[in-house]
Amino acid sequence: MRNNNLKISQFSFFCLGVFGLLVWANPSYSFNLDGFLKEVEKSSRPQPQPKKEELDIKTQESPPQTQQSSGNDGIIGLGQSLGIFDKKTSNILKQSVNTLQALQPIAYKEEKAIGGRLAVEVFSRYGGAYDDPELLRYVTLVGQAVADVSSRPDIDYHFAILNTEHPNAFATPGGYVFVSIGLLRMIENEAQLAGVLAHEVAHISQKHALQTLERSRSLQGVSSLTLAVMDKNPGMLDKLIDEVSNVLFTKGLDKNLEFEADKYGREFAYRMGYYPGGLQNFISKLGKSTEGGKSIFMSTHPSAGERYSLLKNSGSRYQKASLYPVLKKRLQSALKRPIEP
Amino acid sequence: MHQSFLVRFSIVLAILLLPHLASAETWYVKKSATKLQAEASARSDVLGKLQKGTSVKVKKKSGKFFQVSAGGKTGWVFRFKLTKKAPAGGQGDGDVLSALGGDQKMSARESASGSSIRGLSPISEQHARKKGATDESIQAVKNMEKFKVRPEELDQFLEEGKLGEYSQ
Repeated sequence: MRNNNLKISQFSFFCLGVFGLLVWANPSYSFNLDGFLKEVEKSSRPQPQPKKEELDIKTQESPPQTQQSSGNDGIIGLGQSLGIFDKKTSNILKQSVNTLQALQPIAYKEEKAIGGRLAVEVFSRYGGAYDDPELLRYVTLVGQAVADVSSRPDIDYHFAILNTEHPNAFATPGGYVFVSIGLLRMIENEAQLAGVLAHEVAHISQKHALQTLERSRSLQGVSSLTLAVMDKNPGMLDKLIDEVSNVLFTKGLDKNLEFEADKYGREFAYRMGYYPGGLQNFISKLGKSTEGGKSIFMSTHPSAGERYSLLKNSGSRYQKASLYPVLKKRLQSALKRPIEP
Repeated sequence: MHQSFLVRFSIVLAILLLPHLASAETWYVKKSATKLQAEASARSDVLGKLQKGTSVKVKKKSGKFFQVSAGGKTGWVFRFKLTKKAPAGGQGDGDVLSALGGDQKMSARESASGSSIRGLSPISEQHARKKGATDESIQAVKNMEKFKVRPEELDQFLEEGKLGEYSQ
């Protein structure tokens, strides 16, 4: 009996020791909001599609891929010669390595060039710029506030109002964010505007369009997309812009990326101290309105019901923030609406 | 036997945990010109500005502020201006060196971001023109890029709305 008690005590202390070591190994996990969001990201981000092996374009701008490639071939080749991999497995591994090395991540300079080109497209397609510098200043202040607490606050964000009555909002890579005057007219308070702008900022901070672009068929065979490569391959740039335009303005991004932008958008608005339910309330309002049917913000996104449910079901950690400000009067004043009580 | 095991185990656990408990967490500044303030309040004196990538040691947490030490100074920073994620690389360029002399790390890729890239790229403009974009649409993007709000203006906006570091 005494022996049994001793064993139980020893086991309990062993468990305590393991727990202590775990705490020691990662003591600040619970404070790591970025980590929390990364976990969300991992679970919701679609896996990149494998690219075609055939290389269409060879450029002089490529980094020394050959060396890296031969290095990897060497290791895989060594594995083959040692009998660790058979020939077939080695070939599959070599192909996988080549696929992974097909395109270096797109750098900020190139991202901004692509985003700038797409921004011209946004103005061309959606009514041009709405001329109200005072209102633009207000939108920029709200947008910059949420961008400053985003996961990518260190780039320049640019905001514009589109001269269309259809309620639309867009983001193009590199920091360009658009809302239409039609959308602003539907917004009820600043917390809702912050939620919408933060959703768009999240697309940029999480590089959603870039992820789509990096999987583009137009870039097969390009190992590094530099400005020089774009300049030398106008045909490729044509295809690239057409393809991303189609995704952003017609087909829409992957559904999971939209959900992710909703979650990050709510998080950024919350960090800035806004009532975090602003985005979900606006999605619900837009979903119920007849104007919502004319909105690219709706037609290229998952259904309002799905988005609302997902936000509602994943919002338990924001319950304490239900009394955060919505700043209705400030929005009414910026839009020159009669101030409601 | 039992007591001896307990004592030995407690000593081992204490040895493992104590150094860690004594050490401060390292966080990194996400954006240049982040304010280091005298107290856990946005209305307190600004002791200095921290540059992007500066590593800081977090000593205390109080609401939305962290007490940190950097470059020999101790002050408070709005917690969402900091990240646990260490910047990649370590090839920071000269103009990002902290005014307070904190440790510097930042990625070369992101060092090209922010203030160093201005205006619509000539490639983007040429391509837009080739595809028939109007001067008006191109100019709209240039105007959008030029339109800025000053940091003091944003600060006042946050204070009036009781937002960000001014939130309660």
